[in-house]
Amino acid sequence: MTKRIFRSVFLASLLVFLAGLALVVGALYSYFGSRQAEQLRVEASLAARAVEAGGEGYLEGLDGGEIRLTWIAADGSVIYDTDADAGVMENHAGREEFREALQYGSGEGERTSSTLGEKTVYYALRLSDGTVLRTAESHYTLPRLLMNIIQPLALILVLALLLSGWLASRLARRIVGPLNAVDLDHPLENEAYDELSPLLTRLERQQRQIGEQLDELERRKKEFAAITGSMSEGLILLDSQGLVMSINPSARAIFGVDGAGEGRDVLTVDRSSELRALLEKCAASGRAEAYISRGEREYLLTAGAVDTDGGKRGTVLLAVDVTEKRRAERLRREFTANVSHELKTPLHSIMGAAELLQSGLVKPEDRERFLARIRSEAGRLVGLVQDVINLSRLDEGEEFPREDTDLLELAREAAADVADEAARRGVKLSVSGGGGTVRGVRQLLWEIIWNLAENAVKYSKPEGGRADVEVDTLPDGRVRLRVSDDGVGIPREAQERVFERFYRVDKSHSRETGGTGLGLSIVKHAAQYHNASISLESEPGRGTSVTVTFESAGKGNGQP
Amino acid sequence: MRIKFDEQLALLNHELIAMGALCEEAIAATSRAVMVNDRSLGGRVRDLESQIDQKEREIETLCLKLLLQQQPVARDLRLISAALKMITDMERIGDQALDISDTAGFMGPLAEEDKGLLGDLARTVIGMVTDSVDAFVRQDKDFALAVVKRDDEADALFDQIKQSIIERLAQSRGGGEYALDLLMIAKYLERIGDHATNIAEWVEFAQTGLYKGGEVI
Repeated sequence: MTKRIFRSVFLASLLVFLAGLALVVGALYSYFGSRQAEQLRVEASLAARAVEAGGEGYLEGLDGGEIRLTWIAADGSVIYDTDADAGVMENHAGREEFREALQYGSGEGERTSSTLGEKTVYYALRLSDGTVLRTAESHYTLPRLLMNIIQPLALILVLALLLSGWLASRLARRIVGPLNAVDLDHPLENEAYDELSPLLTRLERQQRQIGEQLDELERRKKEFAAITGSMSEGLILLDSQGLVMSINPSARAIFGVDGAGEGRDVLTVDRSSELRALLEKCAASGRAEAYISRGEREYLLTAGAVDTDGGKRGTVLLAVDVTEKRRAERLRREFTANVSHELKTPLHSIMGAAELLQSGLVKPEDRERFLARIRSEAGRLVGLVQDVINLSRLDEGEEFPREDTDLLELAREAAADVADEAARRGVKLSVSGGGGTVRGVRQLLWEIIWNLAENAVKYSKPEGGRADVEVDTLPDGRVRLRVSDDGVGIPREAQERVFERFYRVDKSHSRETGGTGLGLSIVKHAAQYHNASISLESEPGRGTSVTVTFESAGKGNGQP
Repeated sequence: MRIKFDEQLALLNHELIAMGALCEEAIAATSRAVMVNDRSLGGRVRDLESQIDQKEREIETLCLKLLLQQQPVARDLRLISAALKMITDMERIGDQALDISDTAGFMGPLAEEDKGLLGDLARTVIGMVTDSVDAFVRQDKDFALAVVKRDDEADALFDQIKQSIIERLAQSRGGGEYALDLLMIAKYLERIGDHATNIAEWVEFAQTGLYKGGEVI
């Protein structure tokens, strides 16, 4: 812009200068031309009078003047000339001014000598005797005149060029200066030209808009990062070419991505055949699912294509940890199978006995035994069904009424209930301890104590074993229930699993000891319901001790 | 133009990793076929091998298209030319995996005393193939150099297997066919290791412009 302004100003001033010069020279030239002609006329009339008075003598006295005087006879021959010898001069009869003077009394003429670059102006007057007096003066023609003053002219031109150049550049800088000084970050704080203010206002507005949009974008980005960063599911966003746009920390952990994952191909994250098949399926149908296992965990991988306006924009990959879910599903399947099996066994027994009775093959003295077996198996079934119902109620998270319960009293009741069994097996069952009160569901607490006591009796040493139930209040207010025996104990590898449904340490002898395999499972759930902690210590051959610790009545145990 | 070019380069990258992953699967499946004498894996290897062949043709076409239509220079040119070399090695890995599974089919179950060494060799070679693909995935020349170093390990294991076969043949007559099949399998595995090394070297070239540690021209 500076350059442009400079050039315009420079050229304009140069043009103005040249035009001015031309006009002045032209005007002066014509002015001096006319002045000269005037002077010639005056000179001629003066000389004419003098010649008429003094004749040739006057003319001779004028020799060497600036103005050339020529006296011409009426026939055109030169009588006298101030500059040249009249004898050698040619006849002037044909000259324009001479003829005009003869005819009209005065005449003018001019002739240019191109070789000398001079113009001569003539003025002729007819004297009273018929002769003609002519004055002549030469001056340079315009080109010649210009040629003569070319040096000073050039000097002036150069000076003018320099001056206009300097001025133009200063001007250009003065004009552009404020423009350059405009602070684009704060457009409205400038005091530049008024003409710029619409532009600056607009600039300000757009800048504010852009700033707001950037802030919004940044905020969204942070939100997105915060959301995806804190979620436990792995999330990967792919663009339409399968390059990773975003990968959250969980996904990094699942697929073991270290370093920058963004901007690279999805196969750099994971190139397993499952993922490739998943992506292919997703590309074809828009949605696909697959299970993959990484390390110990199992994940459900869901791929969904993101379509907008008919074009494929990318893919969302979501990895959800389904290890627990799959385990729960497996447990449920096993539970169903186990329940059916456990239900079927006593039913078969009942069916068999009933069929034998019906067919009359049973001797009368054995009838009682068969009926007793039907009864005991049916009782077993009822017990099993009751256990399953209890468990499912606990599973459902049903709310039971809670009340303050004296655990020691409850323990005595439960012990009385299993006393017969203990006596039959020759196991010494004892209830002891300082006692304690727990706020809870009486029925469930009873289940806990009864199941533990029954187990202790059943798995204690037959004939001479012991089973102890202790209830104590700990110094910190918690109530501890401990049931111990000195029986077979539980192998270390089975200790983890005894609380699972239908889990039996010794599968072959389950019928012998009776029970449903659900007892400890019920204990676990009931304890969980009361926020109580369970610990199991056992040594094979030395006995088992199960400790259930309830929170003090004042806190914790009231909430499920 | 450049956008299209970038897209095609991204596609090339994607396809190369996919082909590498296929090779990994093929060699893993074929090793399992040998080690546990599982005939059913033969079909899987054959399937993988044909997939690898197909990928080779696809990538080859893509590379040639890129070379002819885009006239790449510098880094892009290196990647594309390295890709052309790599797919040849990958295709050979696929072929040899199939050869191994075929040979294993004739050979019958692996003798107990061979399981140790051959298992080691198979694990080493699988590791090399995985690492060479990883080197490409991460564009990490240190990974590539590690693969090149492990080739000596594979060679040494092959020599040990060969030695044990020689000793066994010297001691007893018979069992020659088994011994030859075993040797063939070991040799194929060792060759796969060499191809993995080649791949790693081309990865290094694509990254640094140096092939086997020196300027190409």
